[in-house]
Amino acid sequence: MEHSKRQFLKGCGALLAGVSVYSVTKSPLAENTDTEAQAEIKYAMVHDENICIGCNACVEACREVNHVPEGVTRLKIDRTGPFGEYPEQSYRFNRVSCQHCEAAPCVRVCPTGAAYIDKKTGIVAVHEERCVGCQYCIAACPYQVRFINPETRTADKCDFCQQTQLKQGLAPACVLACPTKALTFGNLKDPDSDLVRLLKSKPTYRSKVDLGTRPKLFHVQIIDGEIML
Amino acid sequence: MSAFHFEGLVWHWPIAIYLFLAGLSAGAVFFAIMLKHFKLAGEAYHSPFVQAAAIIAPITVFGGLGILVFDLTKPLDFWKILVFYNTTSVMSMGVLVLMAYQVALFAWIACIFNKMILQLLGDRLAFVSRMIKWLVKQEAAITGVLVILSISLGAYTGFLLSALIGFPLLNNPVLPLLFLISGLSSGAAATLLGGVLLRGNPNGIEVRFIHGIEIPMILVEIGLIFTFFVGLILSGGQSQVAALNAIGYGFWGWIFWGGVIGVGLTLPLAANLWMKVSADRKFTYVAVTASFSLIGVFLLRNFILYTGQMTGV
Repeated sequence: MEHSKRQFLKGCGALLAGVSVYSVTKSPLAENTDTEAQAEIKYAMVHDENICIGCNACVEACREVNHVPEGVTRLKIDRTGPFGEYPEQSYRFNRVSCQHCEAAPCVRVCPTGAAYIDKKTGIVAVHEERCVGCQYCIAACPYQVRFINPETRTADKCDFCQQTQLKQGLAPACVLACPTKALTFGNLKDPDSDLVRLLKSKPTYRSKVDLGTRPKLFHVQIIDGEIML
Repeated sequence: MSAFHFEGLVWHWPIAIYLFLAGLSAGAVFFAIMLKHFKLAGEAYHSPFVQAAAIIAPITVFGGLGILVFDLTKPLDFWKILVFYNTTSVMSMGVLVLMAYQVALFAWIACIFNKMILQLLGDRLAFVSRMIKWLVKQEAAITGVLVILSISLGAYTGFLLSALIGFPLLNNPVLPLLFLISGLSSGAAATLLGGVLLRGNPNGIEVRFIHGIEIPMILVEIGLIFTFFVGLILSGGQSQVAALNAIGYGFWGWIFWGGVIGVGLTLPLAANLWMKVSADRKFTYVAVTASFSLIGVFLLRNFILYTGQMTGV
């Protein structure tokens, strides 16, 4: 009796350890390698901080098109500064919105699969019906761009206007609204797109790449003003 | 920055209570099983301490889950977590563990108290009696599974937080172990407190047995907390900032040094070491040291949850 119990415990322990290691190592990164070859579209965006004037037209356009309620936003323009002495003053503007990570932490932690990567477009989207509002995705997102929509009570964020503009064959609302054309949206897999041409012509950076999330929001770094550490 | 409201805070105190209760439930069961296995054997159901654990474990796990459900933005949709699963999600796997744990927990309680239950039932509900008799035959297996599940549940509460890669204080490999050990010690404390409240003998073999395990466990816990913060500080960068921010100064610094280290670890340890040499344990002694342990673990959960979310990468 003692012997069989010990065997049983050992078996259970081994099984449990095996299952948990398997599920943890089966990362979104590994999954993506198969689908990457098939999908023809992989949307990405570039924000040129040299051209952005911080007018917030993108924020307002997004709110209107996607019916984002007051008090929350899918998109923010972070302003830092001023730098330098008057009249030679300047500000820096940084776009804060969903980065549409290839290895999205929100997708990995979502218990119901409500946060998912659209295999056809690479867009990180939210399945509204499945979301229960546990907010694990909001805590997991290192970019802090997810929020609970007070009307639908589900997790919400930028989806490159997947449900609104893209459906009609239009570019995202923020891109169209930008008066200085600081935003470029397009397909990473299309070598002739403006997006790819821009990425090949200017040096860009992406936020928090050391976390291994492989974000698809690129920034052209501002060359104006003082050097910051 | 205020201690309870700051930018980037996603999970509030209800989650800390849930983490506390889930660990407490797992710990109470763990110690009840140990008591039966090593000391009480067939007499376990007589012991007020085992009885206390059998009451505390289901209540705390249900309470914790209840808090969790009401903390959802859509509480009525909670069933979707039970239907849809995501193998990469720690929470999803934790829900599976929680479900299995509850089944095993009730099966085990039925086994331990089978004589009482069968007596109570008499001739009524024959199928329930048959089921309990069948369960009693499987007791060894049920006990084994429940030990594994309680340890999994205790560690899960830590894994839940360590999966948050944006917060260096939480995304720490020591956290699940720290939560497991502190959860077990809170379960031990709750079992002792419940036991003496149910008029268990404060000088009985149960108390002596649990106290015997408690000293090494507190020492391990201190070692884990030390490793946790030294590891963060030596990692440098934001990890160091997060660690020093948490234990350095301000409200949470007081909670850590006074509450977690002082009340939660040092006082029970000192009391236990002192009691080793002296003779009789009194009700107040057991109740007070157990309460200190419980307060310490509860404060540790809040401390980790809040300070963890304070410093993002």
